[in-house]
Amino acid sequence: MLRLLTVHEWRLWRTNPIVRLVIASFAITLLAAAGLGATRAQRERATIAKFEHRGGIGQGGPQLSLRADVAANERGYLALLPPAPLSALAIGQGDVYPNYIKVTARSLDALVSGDQIEHPLAVASGQFDAAFVVLFLYPLLIFAISFDLTATERDRGTLRMVLAQPVTLGEVVAGKMIVRIMKLLVPLLLITIGTAALFSPTGGSFWPRAALWAAAVVVYGAIWHGIALVVNARGFTAPANALILAGIWLLFAVVGPSAVNLLIATSYPMPSRVEAAVQARAATQEATVQGSRQLGQFLQDHPTSGNVGRDGMRQFALLQAERDKRVADRLATVEATFNARLEQQRRLASWLSVLSPTMIAQGVLLEVAGTGTERFDHFRDETAAFQQRWRAYFEPRVLDAATLTREEYEAAPGFAYVDEPFSLTLRRVAAPIMVMAVIGAVLIVIGFRGYRGYSL
Amino acid sequence: MRAALTIAVKDATEIWRDGRFRFAAGLLVILLIAAIAGGVHNQSEIARQHADAQRAERDVWLDKGDMNPHAAAHYGAFVFKPVQPLSAIDPGLDPFVGVFVFLEAHKQQLARHRPIEDATPTRRLGQLTPASAALVLLPLLVVALTFSSFAGERDQGTLRPLLAMGISRGSLLAGKAVGAMLPLAAVIVPATIVGAAILFWNAPADPNAPIGARAAGLGLLYLVHTLIWIGLGLAISARSRTQGAALVVLLAIWFANAFILPSLAMAAAKWIDPSPSAIEFAASIQDEKDSWPSWDARVEGVMQRFLDGEFESTMAPANVEVVALLESEADETALYDRRFAELFERYQRQARSFEKVGAIAPTLAARTLSMALAGTDESHDREFAAAATRYRTAMLTTLNGELASSGRFNTFDYTRGRDLWEKVPPFDYDVPSARWAVSQVAWSAGALAAWLAAIALAAAWSVSSMRLE
Repeated sequence: MLRLLTVHEWRLWRTNPIVRLVIASFAITLLAAAGLGATRAQRERATIAKFEHRGGIGQGGPQLSLRADVAANERGYLALLPPAPLSALAIGQGDVYPNYIKVTARSLDALVSGDQIEHPLAVASGQFDAAFVVLFLYPLLIFAISFDLTATERDRGTLRMVLAQPVTLGEVVAGKMIVRIMKLLVPLLLITIGTAALFSPTGGSFWPRAALWAAAVVVYGAIWHGIALVVNARGFTAPANALILAGIWLLFAVVGPSAVNLLIATSYPMPSRVEAAVQARAATQEATVQGSRQLGQFLQDHPTSGNVGRDGMRQFALLQAERDKRVADRLATVEATFNARLEQQRRLASWLSVLSPTMIAQGVLLEVAGTGTERFDHFRDETAAFQQRWRAYFEPRVLDAATLTREEYEAAPGFAYVDEPFSLTLRRVAAPIMVMAVIGAVLIVIGFRGYRGYSL
Repeated sequence: MRAALTIAVKDATEIWRDGRFRFAAGLLVILLIAAIAGGVHNQSEIARQHADAQRAERDVWLDKGDMNPHAAAHYGAFVFKPVQPLSAIDPGLDPFVGVFVFLEAHKQQLARHRPIEDATPTRRLGQLTPASAALVLLPLLVVALTFSSFAGERDQGTLRPLLAMGISRGSLLAGKAVGAMLPLAAVIVPATIVGAAILFWNAPADPNAPIGARAAGLGLLYLVHTLIWIGLGLAISARSRTQGAALVVLLAIWFANAFILPSLAMAAAKWIDPSPSAIEFAASIQDEKDSWPSWDARVEGVMQRFLDGEFESTMAPANVEVVALLESEADETALYDRRFAELFERYQRQARSFEKVGAIAPTLAARTLSMALAGTDESHDREFAAAATRYRTAMLTTLNGELASSGRFNTFDYTRGRDLWEKVPPFDYDVPSARWAVSQVAWSAGALAAWLAAIALAAAWSVSSMRLE
């Protein structure tokens, strides 16, 4: 019977011009968002490929010096972060954090990376990607096609006639729900995952991640379908349902997250980078000035670079390394304190995100796409580990003021980014997906129970 | 006129009696006040941090002891971005641009440490600010107040009897418009009074940065934007077949304005004028530097010119290295200036393309203007960056010039102390005037004015030609 009702509803919907318009505009928006995301990911992949063959920035220039300090520090090594498996679907934090770090063998400025550069207006406006469509437009369209599950039919009296047949109200509503869920979900999953699969390499964890993406979209949608069902079951008129649902969307998807963010900014402000910069300056001043004096003294003794000789250069390299180490040690204390506070504030703040399903879903989608903060943190950790090897290889040669042979240079360690195992991602998103699934299921159950007392 | 007033009072009373309106309006007032209080609190906190840091930095600079002037240039200086008082109302791009620049010899950097990097990822979903409440939430209340103005009367069959009473369509439009504005005033007036009071008490007026004109501009802007939405609501309500249709159309326009168009416009702008990613930008600078002669070759070149008699005969041979240093410094400065200018020009072109979309989206135009008036848009950031660059050039000129004119045989032997450090003045940044701010976004100002005029005409035309049933 349910199948018959569903097919019947499906046929009815195929002739409804407004529904067709809604689905068509949804599909076009999705195609545009997924297309833009795929283009961006492809461009990023091409850039990374271009630099992979260059090694350090500037390598291949006309003055390929093999002096150890030039090769190790000035040229350094470019650690590159390839685009995440599903980055075509969510740009996430990719427009904030850089996808490369220059590694040197020094103890100070060991990892040099500028910020990712992007027009601030683009970061502020948010990126037009599939995740954006899922988070904001999808719930709104769920409400747009579900605000009138039964109200108009009841008011016209046709619902009563339908129920004169051997069907229950629950079955009728279930049939309507199934059609509404499928109408949006099928194009959404097909277009997003299809575009990503067409335009990005599908090896590694692509398909498991795509499955998680689908799961997240399903449970996120279930919450909004559940809300629509609960409101419909209250028995208001269709316009009243529309207004209430629009209000709920506004509250949960727009006002909620932005108010929570205001709360975070005022109650859990992140530690100030400005204060940290001043503290770092104060902590390292003595070491910097002292080191500069020693280096200055050296230069005074050896006025022109021509007559320094290898011994002199060794002495200079040692002085520089000692100064760097002293400054870096003092800096490390300030940085460790800052990072610990930052981490603590972030953890506290992230608890507040449970107040909004949109915030929970955003976290899951970014993590699954691989463009959340975690992947960039992991990249930084991996690069820091690589820096140890790079330094171990080059430091003795720098202190020896050596000039490398080509073989020695080519034997230097290299870096290839290895993603975190998929199981870690799974572990991180399992709980939020379960929470969303439970909330969605509870809402749907409440909705159906509400329909038991539905007045015809 | 009398009839218009009667209609206005009747509509306003009806709206006011509606519990849903009182709930929504109450919520909006609370949100607006929370946004203003939160904004002012955050702004004053950040402003204090930056001012303290700038003072501490100055002390560090002066007290760093004796050293070689070029070593002092390497020691460098931090310049912190002053926070604008009106960023409490519209923080604009502040969270998305760097908060300080490190100025040093040989290298020039973009401002570092954008607050967004340290924020939780959820921050990307947007933060409630007085500007977003005024430009995004308030129009939604306007939509709720106006969608049924004419369509509702028509649905109920009261539109024809109303006009049969001899009321002109012009009076009807005026009545409906005022009828929507009166309940809105219940939200806007208390929020403005409380907001202004909080702003006044918390942010002591800085005589060097008068904000009167900018604040008045912001008030006028939000008022004009609200009026445009009232006109839009009335025009669409008059044209729509049913009130349901009017609501759907208005909500779609609102959604496009608030959510779709800003990100889509920026995506289009980047499509037209792609900007380099960080790695490409860094590589383009490094590539050019790599093509220059090495330090030793540079010194040799200067020595050759010295021997050829290109310099004054009083110059000592040891100054050759200083001349080479100054020349390489000048080359580097020119390179960075050129690359940054290219990048900023690209950004400016992107911003201009983005602004163009304001012609079809009044909220986008209003957002651009709001950031400009609050002093938190891209052109203000560029102004600050330019001031920092000028300061860097002046600092390096003072320090390196001292080195060149020292006339000492051994340039690196030469050390100076506090008297020279004091010759580098503290960093001072004057915020441009409100007029300048608006002139940078003239297109948006024009677009908004055109919208206001067009929407008034459209509303009048819609009402004069509307169907009665």
